[in-house]
Amino acid sequence: MSAAVIETAGLSKLYGRSHAVRNLNLSVTPGRITAFLGLNGAGKSTTIRMLLGMIRPTEGTGTVLGRSIDDPAQSVALRADVAYVSEDKRLYNYMTVEQMVRFTSGFFPGWREDLASALLRRYELPAKRKVRHLSKGMRTKLALLLAIARRPALLILDEPSEGLDPRGVEQLLEALVAQCAEGTSVFFSSHQIEEVERISDQICIIHQGRLAMDASLDELRTSWRRVDAVLPGGPQPHDFTMRGVERLRTRGQQMSVVASGNVDAIVARARESGASTIDVTPVGLREIFLQTIEPDSIAEN
Amino acid sequence: MLWYMLWYKVWLESRTRFLISLLGITALCVLRVYYGMRGAPAWSLSGVAYYYFVLRSGQQLLQLAWVVAVTLLMMGGLLQEKTNGSAPFTLALPVSRARLMSVRISAGLIEAALLIAVPWAAMYATAYFSAPALSVSQVLFYAVLLAGGGAVYAGMSLLISSLVEGTYTAPMISAGFVLVCGTAPRELAFMNPMDFMNGHDYMGSGNMLAGPIPWAHAAAYMTVAALLIVASVKVIERRDF
Repeated sequence: MSAAVIETAGLSKLYGRSHAVRNLNLSVTPGRITAFLGLNGAGKSTTIRMLLGMIRPTEGTGTVLGRSIDDPAQSVALRADVAYVSEDKRLYNYMTVEQMVRFTSGFFPGWREDLASALLRRYELPAKRKVRHLSKGMRTKLALLLAIARRPALLILDEPSEGLDPRGVEQLLEALVAQCAEGTSVFFSSHQIEEVERISDQICIIHQGRLAMDASLDELRTSWRRVDAVLPGGPQPHDFTMRGVERLRTRGQQMSVVASGNVDAIVARARESGASTIDVTPVGLREIFLQTIEPDSIAEN
Repeated sequence: MLWYMLWYKVWLESRTRFLISLLGITALCVLRVYYGMRGAPAWSLSGVAYYYFVLRSGQQLLQLAWVVAVTLLMMGGLLQEKTNGSAPFTLALPVSRARLMSVRISAGLIEAALLIAVPWAAMYATAYFSAPALSVSQVLFYAVLLAGGGAVYAGMSLLISSLVEGTYTAPMISAGFVLVCGTAPRELAFMNPMDFMNGHDYMGSGNMLAGPIPWAHAAAYMTVAALLIVASVKVIERRDF
């Protein structure tokens, strides 16, 4: 397998006494769409900005496309191959759409004029309109155009679908999948779990500045299950303290287990406990995400 | 291409402020000279009073307007972009912060120089066509005073705009600096760029500047300005965005 497009080792950022990012060890595989999930304030944007040299790490190191994020010269060089769409999608208010495109194209020798023109038409962006007069959705589309037309090796997006209407979201998701198909690695943060589930290959979850999960979506879909059982004698939570049990809830005779693996053993234990019915169903990414960021709920009533 | 684009950005960003300042200041200076001389009694159109009207009052008006304009022109940059939200886009471009700053500073200094050269040229032309011609050496003297002392304001405004966030905070602090210089006691005149700019210490008889142009003093102020500019670049290079 080729080298990771993003690699961090012990990456940390401290603001005063508060850790925005804490000892983050991240490895993003090339040629895939990797989603970066986390609650507000989990450290997603700070991580992304450290990767792009906007914020200096307090500790740790990192590379993007094999270039060090700590070294100013290498940081400049890596940005020639990386496109970034920020959370706010703010551009230069004093420029028109046309001027923004002309300005950005000057920094990237591989700029695809044909693609920029096609996207301008597809996204229905008014070339002569000043950026300050664009809606947030239009600004997002323009930012996406500016990112895609430079033909980056890595596309980093911070909550790209925020502010987009459903049609805009569809166009965005299509564009990301198309970029990946052309060989661009995509790394994006989002709160929109359904969108993440639709297009992502890999899921990274960050919580309180730490990496809480790094797994492929296929792997998650295969291994995570919900086991619902009715135990006439009443569930005994301590019987289910075993590998793979991420959360256990009981109500009367009912027991619900969310498991990240070892499902066969959990089902067998339920049978041993006299379960009258047992249902095993897949678990969605939303639940996996919530479970990952609230891991202390092993036995809830 | 890359340099061209950075200049293109700086020009689009500052052109409105610059052109308004240039036209406004030039118009004010021209009117001051034109009406200053027309309104003066006939006896005053020669000698001492002539220079009083044309040079001294023109320079004082230009000095005040120039300091305000340059303070505003030097605002902006990455910290202002941070406030506007466009800093992430700029910083994601394959350009170092030092290079971004160097283009902005160069453009700012060129605009500041034009704000000296064009109004003075306009005042000179107005005087030439409507009254006795000005002395070129006096004009040059005033221009050097304005550029030398003014460089400190440009440098200080740049540093403040690199340290302080907020749309209005940095201009307010810069205005405070101008006010402090404007009200500083006369004992500190030797280190006050405002006093240097108005040429008080070089004034000979008849309100004319006398003696050699103080190149060394102007160079000293420009050195201070250069240090302020270097400090601004260092601050921006180290800052988190």
